[in-house]
Amino acid sequence: MRQSFDFPADTSVLAKIGELATETGRAAGFNDNEINDINLAVSEVCTNTITHGLKNDPTRTFQLVIQWNTGEIEIFIHEAGEPFDPPDLKDPDLEASLEDRPVRGLGLYLLRNLMDEADYRVGRDGVKTWRMLKRKAEA
Amino acid sequence: MKITESVKDNVSQVYIKGRFDAHTCETVDAYIREKMEKGRHQFVLNMEKVPFIDSAGLRVVLVIARDLRGEYQGDLRFAILQPAVNKVFEISGLNNVLRIFDDAETAAQSFSE
Ligand SMILES: Nc1ncnc2c1ncn2[C@@H]1O[C@H](COP(=O)(O)OP(=O)(O)OP(=O)(O)O)[C@@H](O)[C@H]1O
Ligand SMILES: [Mg+2]
Repeated sequence: MRQSFDFPADTSVLAKIGELATETGRAAGFNDNEINDINLAVSEVCTNTITHGLKNDPTRTFQLVIQWNTGEIEIFIHEAGEPFDPPDLKDPDLEASLEDRPVRGLGLYLLRNLMDEADYRVGRDGVKTWRMLKRKAEA
Repeated sequence: MKITESVKDNVSQVYIKGRFDAHTCETVDAYIREKMEKGRHQFVLNMEKVPFIDSAGLRVVLVIARDLRGEYQGDLRFAILQPAVNKVFEISGLNNVLRIFDDAETAAQSFSE
C-alpha cells in the first residue's frame, strides 16, 4: 500500500500527519508503542522540513509518502528547500547537567533511536529526501 | 492546546491538554513565562492529558526549568507522564535532570520539602 500527500510548510499540519502515521501504523499491524515511535519520528523530520528546510513559508510545500505492508512501514519526506548536509551526527550529551545541556539536536537523535533505518540523500535536482523504516519486532 | 492553572501555597499547577509539539510549544512557553514575570517561580506541569511531546516541547520545558532554577531558585516539575511521553523523556535523558512525579499532589508538595 502507498499513500502520498503534499503539505504546506506550516506546523499546524503536524497533528494531521500524526493521525496519518497512526492510521497507517495500525493498518500495518503495529502496536501502540510502535505507533508512538513512528509518530514521533515522522513528526521530527517534518518539523525540520517545515522550520529549517522551508523556513515556515506556508506557500511552499513538501511531500510525505507512506508505504506499508503487514509488519513494515516506510516513510519518505521530500523537500526542495535550504541545502543541508547532515554533519557526522554525534549523539547529544545525555549526561550533561541541566545548565550545560544543548537545547538543539534532539530531533535527529530521536529519529535514529526510534526507527530501524533512517537515511538522507540529496537528488541531482536538489530535492532532499529523508527515508525511515520500521519493522515489527518478531513476536 | 488547552491550558489552565490553579495556584495553591504559591505553587502553580499548570494543566495542559493536547499535543505538545513544534506547533503548540510556544503557547505553553508564553503562558508560563507570563506567570514568571508576575512573580511565580514554582510550577507543576500536569501532563496527564498530553499524549505526545516532541523535541520542540522538550526544549521549552528544559529552558524554562533552567531559567527558574538559575534565576529564581524556582523550578518546573512534572506530574503524570503518559507512557509515550515518559519514553521521550527517557531517551533524551531529561528524566535525569528534571523532577517527575506520579501525581500532581506529590509534585506540588515537593516544593515545601
Ligand atoms: N530538512 C532540513 N533542512 C535543512 N536543515 C536541516 C533539516 N533537517 C535538519 N536540519 C539541520 O540539522 C540540525 C539538526 O536537526 P535536529 O532535528 O536534530 O535539531 P534541531 O531541529 O535544531 O532541534 P530539535 O532538538 O528541536 O530537533 C538542525 O539544527 C538543522 O540545522
Ligand atoms: Mg529538529
